[in-house]
Amino acid sequence: MIGLNGSLSIATEALGAQTAALEVTNNNIANANTPGYSRQIVSLSSAASIQNGTTVDEGVSYQGFTSVRDAVLDMAINAATSDQGSLTAQNTLLTQINSAFSGTTTGIGASISTLFSDLSALSTNPSDSSARQTVLSDAGALANMFHQGAAALSNASSAANQQVSSAVAQVNQLSQQIASLNGQIVSAEAGGGDGGALTDQRDELTTQLSQLIGVSTTQTNGTPTLTTTNGSPLVIGASSYQLQVTTAPDGTAHVLDGQGNDITNELSGGTIGGAITAQDNTIPALSQQLDALASQFATAMNSAQAAGYDLNGNPGAAMFTVPATGSAAAGITVALTSGSQIAASSDGSSGSSGNVQALLAVQTNNLPSGASPTNSYATLVGNIGFAGSQVSAGLTATTSSLQQLTTQQDSESAVSIDEETANLIRYQQAYSASARVISTINDIYTTLMNMSLGDG
Amino acid sequence: MRVDPNLSSLLNAGIQGTEQALNTAVQQVASGQRVSVPSDDPAAAGANLQSLAESTNVDRYSQNGDAVLSQAQMADSALSNVVSELNQAITLGTQGADGTMTSENRAAIATQVQSVLSEVVSQANTTLNGVSLFGGTATAVSAFAADSTSPTGYVYQGNSGVNSAAIGDNLQVDVNVPGDQVFTNPNGNVLGSLMQLISALGSGSTSDIGDAVTAVRGALTNVSQQRVVYAGVVNQINAQESYLSQETISLTSQQQSLTGVDMSTAISNLTQAQIAHSTILAAAAKVLPTSLLDYLK
Repeated sequence: MIGLNGSLSIATEALGAQTAALEVTNNNIANANTPGYSRQIVSLSSAASIQNGTTVDEGVSYQGFTSVRDAVLDMAINAATSDQGSLTAQNTLLTQINSAFSGTTTGIGASISTLFSDLSALSTNPSDSSARQTVLSDAGALANMFHQGAAALSNASSAANQQVSSAVAQVNQLSQQIASLNGQIVSAEAGGGDGGALTDQRDELTTQLSQLIGVSTTQTNGTPTLTTTNGSPLVIGASSYQLQVTTAPDGTAHVLDGQGNDITNELSGGTIGGAITAQDNTIPALSQQLDALASQFATAMNSAQAAGYDLNGNPGAAMFTVPATGSAAAGITVALTSGSQIAASSDGSSGSSGNVQALLAVQTNNLPSGASPTNSYATLVGNIGFAGSQVSAGLTATTSSLQQLTTQQDSESAVSIDEETANLIRYQQAYSASARVISTINDIYTTLMNMSLGDG
Repeated sequence: MRVDPNLSSLLNAGIQGTEQALNTAVQQVASGQRVSVPSDDPAAAGANLQSLAESTNVDRYSQNGDAVLSQAQMADSALSNVVSELNQAITLGTQGADGTMTSENRAAIATQVQSVLSEVVSQANTTLNGVSLFGGTATAVSAFAADSTSPTGYVYQGNSGVNSAAIGDNLQVDVNVPGDQVFTNPNGNVLGSLMQLISALGSGSTSDIGDAVTAVRGALTNVSQQRVVYAGVVNQINAQESYLSQETISLTSQQQSLTGVDMSTAISNLTQAQIAHSTILAAAAKVLPTSLLDYLK
């Protein structure tokens, strides 16, 4: 049996509980568009106690709030974000390479065709000095195209290096922030509360970190640990471990862990993983093909030259010079200085075009790579295109699966303004009703007081 | 089950998708190309480069054909002049073999044959753009030069080299016939027989003159045979030209089908992308402003 005072205290508590619920709703609405924010739900429970063997209802008790989030989804999203980061980095680089090799009427392929076409013109009039000069300048143009192709690939490689460096700097910054949030969350939870917004912030930063580098999240004795995919620690509890970047002599970026171990080859995922894949696998494979084409083509032309005689009857000199070390495509130069040095003649007479056939045969014969120069170049362009289309298709797929995961996460955790509006009304009504209870009890007290005054 | 309340992010993704499709469609219609970078279709991009290289070759075969054709026609017309000169020499020789001729008359005929010889030599030294057509591959000098030590009075300065030019994949034509094969061929020596006729006319021996005329006839036969080579080249080039122009058309259509866009498909894609884009924009406009708050007034 509780009296009016008991009712009054229930109503007062109810006012407090509805106010707290309104506060949570208010906070949800305020953070409706905050990235990473998980909606909070208020926990209310009915309070009761047992007195003299009877259950006595004591109104409502506010138990605080909890954030609605799904750890499994968070991990799935982080993994997909990592993939997306990796593919985005690769896509940027490969798009750049693809547009550099998109030429059909210009470029290495067209320059090879032009060179052979103008060489073929020598077969009808081998002593024409302007036709010879044209061949020489075609050879120069081709060497130039090789330089441009090599530069496009090496530019992409340095862009990858740049991506790794700036991403590592961001990773270090994020690791520090996450470590410091971990410290705050531990002390917040020690007080019995929910990490709440702090946990949201940490999760958001972890997702940002996943964009940059593949991470795995584990809990060891309640201490959250973030490591790279190969197990190098980034954050353990409230401490962060910094990665370092060095540039190797060949211009590629290498990532070192906190202890200074080179972990470049073990990283995967994120901008860093993607840029490293491009820098260490994709681009070198393409460069190698381009260099092989340049050096094999030069060798084939040089030996065809050597089989003939130039306009002055001298044995044919090498047409191209290829550097002994380093990139052949970047270093190929035309060795001939005059059109008269084109070895069109097979018998030493100036009017012979017998060796033009040998020079032209380079166009159709297979290089040591197993294909003719034009086909080798077409294969290279096909490979460039294939690498690009593979990455962009992967990116499209990952983006759409990330979109689905995000939708799923949002359906759990995102703030719905409509829902909060409905809650707002609900809590407002409950508040009004509790206030009405207080004023009713007040009326009853007044009646009681008046009754006793009237009697007196 | 709770649904994702974030319609805007769903709509944004959708709008981005249709915008991308619209961009692609517009780009294809504007450029007429389906493949603008290799990654659009790697296999087609590679095949297109091979096809373009073949197109360049075909253009060159056709240009080579034109160049060879003009040389062959020029050489053929020179040889046609030589044939009529030789016929004139035969007529003159036949007159000189007449026993009633006086030595003065024969001397006059010999002078005429001498001028036939000079005319033939000048035809043999025909040049095109500074290139001696009958000098073999020694094209920088005149094919024949006067030389008093030679029995014919002329010496061949050229060589027996033959140039050939590609007018098709694995198809070569000879560009020239060496001058020694035409004018000083042992089976019909043009310059030798004319010289023989001149000296026979000088000697006055009708049998020598008759022999010399026979030799000139032999030379005439040889020149006619050599002309056939040029006629063959001209025929081959003409036949090849029509093949090459067909080849150009089929390569162009190959390139078009590899990387070009079928306009009707492209335009229908564009229309589709437009419809999809305006649909999603209309949906966004309808859905986004709606909220419970609108009804709580």
